[in-house]
Amino acid sequence: MQRPILWIHGEALGPANPALQAYPGQPAVFVFDAELLAGRSPTTGDPAGTAPQAVSLKRIGFLYECLLELPVSLRHGDVVAEVLAFARAHGADGIVTSAGSDPRVEAICKALEQELPVEVLEPEPFVELDGRVDLGRFSRYWRRAEREVWAAASSEQ
Amino acid sequence: MAPDSLAGVALAWADQPGDLPRQFESRQALEAELRRLFPAAEGNLSPIRGGRRQAEALLSRVQPARYAKGRNFLDGPVTRLSPYIRHGALILAEVRDAVFARLQAPGGGGRQAGEKLINELGWRDYWQRLWQQLGDGIWRDQEELKTGHHPGAYNPDLPADVAEGRTGLACMDGFIAELHETGWLHNHARMWMAAYLVHWRRVRWQAGAQWFLRHLLDGDPASNNLSWQWVASSFSHKPYFFNRGNLERYSGGTFCRTCPLSEQGCPFDASYEQLEAELFKPLPSVRSVESGRRERSGPRSSGPSAALSRPTRRR
Repeated sequence: MQRPILWIHGEALGPANPALQAYPGQPAVFVFDAELLAGRSPTTGDPAGTAPQAVSLKRIGFLYECLLELPVSLRHGDVVAEVLAFARAHGADGIVTSAGSDPRVEAICKALEQELPVEVLEPEPFVELDGRVDLGRFSRYWRRAEREVWAAASSEQ
Repeated sequence: MAPDSLAGVALAWADQPGDLPRQFESRQALEAELRRLFPAAEGNLSPIRGGRRQAEALLSRVQPARYAKGRNFLDGPVTRLSPYIRHGALILAEVRDAVFARLQAPGGGGRQAGEKLINELGWRDYWQRLWQQLGDGIWRDQEELKTGHHPGAYNPDLPADVAEGRTGLACMDGFIAELHETGWLHNHARMWMAAYLVHWRRVRWQAGAQWFLRHLLDGDPASNNLSWQWVASSFSHKPYFFNRGNLERYSGGTFCRTCPLSEQGCPFDASYEQLEAELFKPLPSVRSVESGRRERSGPRSSGPSAALSRPTRRR
């Protein structure tokens, strides 16, 4: 991509964001996700629940203060529509973002891809574990992860 | 601009119509603007400020050895980094490296001093990995409840007195007020609230989890929902509950001193055996074996904990 825009989402509001690191200075956008803030997405509300409740102002304010420290335009509404409009306004040939744990991030990327190529960059992991990781209980995960985490610590010395 | 002005970093591209503002005269002006932009969002700004600078200031004060010793106490030296980590203002890898650097500095204490804190970072990583695996299924019971009660016996809605912070219990009402005002609670307080709601009030954990997500600055369905499931027993071998002695100890007695139910009527003022008999129905197949080992007679001795701490038994 020669002229991408960056989509910044709510799991990556800091300088470790790999999209900001890989494309410094490129136009970037964050969208306050109307569905999510209304409590109508599984990120903020029980999908089987009957009474969605809007996220409180505190949470929006916290995000806003994080965002003011980043070079990013702020929008409000439907994320896919807003990101694509931003891309068009900047004559972008693609969209770069960072991977998230929230399945909503991937769903939005799939929708964006209908219109423009999307590059998803992985943030630095806490611990790198190859192959399948047994997550049945924390103890099983930690038996593997602990060794790797501390191996990285001693290699730093 | 005024000294408390909030000025966004400059952008290298032009504004478009419909862009939200990035310059405010004060935090009050930001709050007023957010009320206008997001009329459905209730409440005020939190006294906890967002942003990388705040995160770095907190990170510089982390003391791994003190954390390990005192983290279960409400006034203990916990990091308060969770909201910043949740939103990536600071990432786990950065916290990990800062902790390592501190441990390796002269007087840092080495690995032993940092094991607990690194383990707690591991809990966050574990919950995130599970979220990726479970997707929206994170809202469903991962296993059957071990409380002896049918899932249908739990109220699907948050009771009004809880939502409004007027349960009459000084501890719970105090925690609820803090949740609503600041959007942050000590992990132990979250655990007590969850146990109170699910076991004493018999409310579905999903109702509590959704309530927390509305308010917690660090709220995500990973740490939040799975910790609620751990308390409820749909993601653990047995339900988590506590008693007054435990709460009194780790809260320094501050709530019980002013509680109108302190002398009579405190629902937590009992032994673990009494509370277990009161709160849960016998589970013949599981419990006959476990009671023989006396495993069910005390509170949990291990469990999730980036989100939930592990109290020691005390009456």
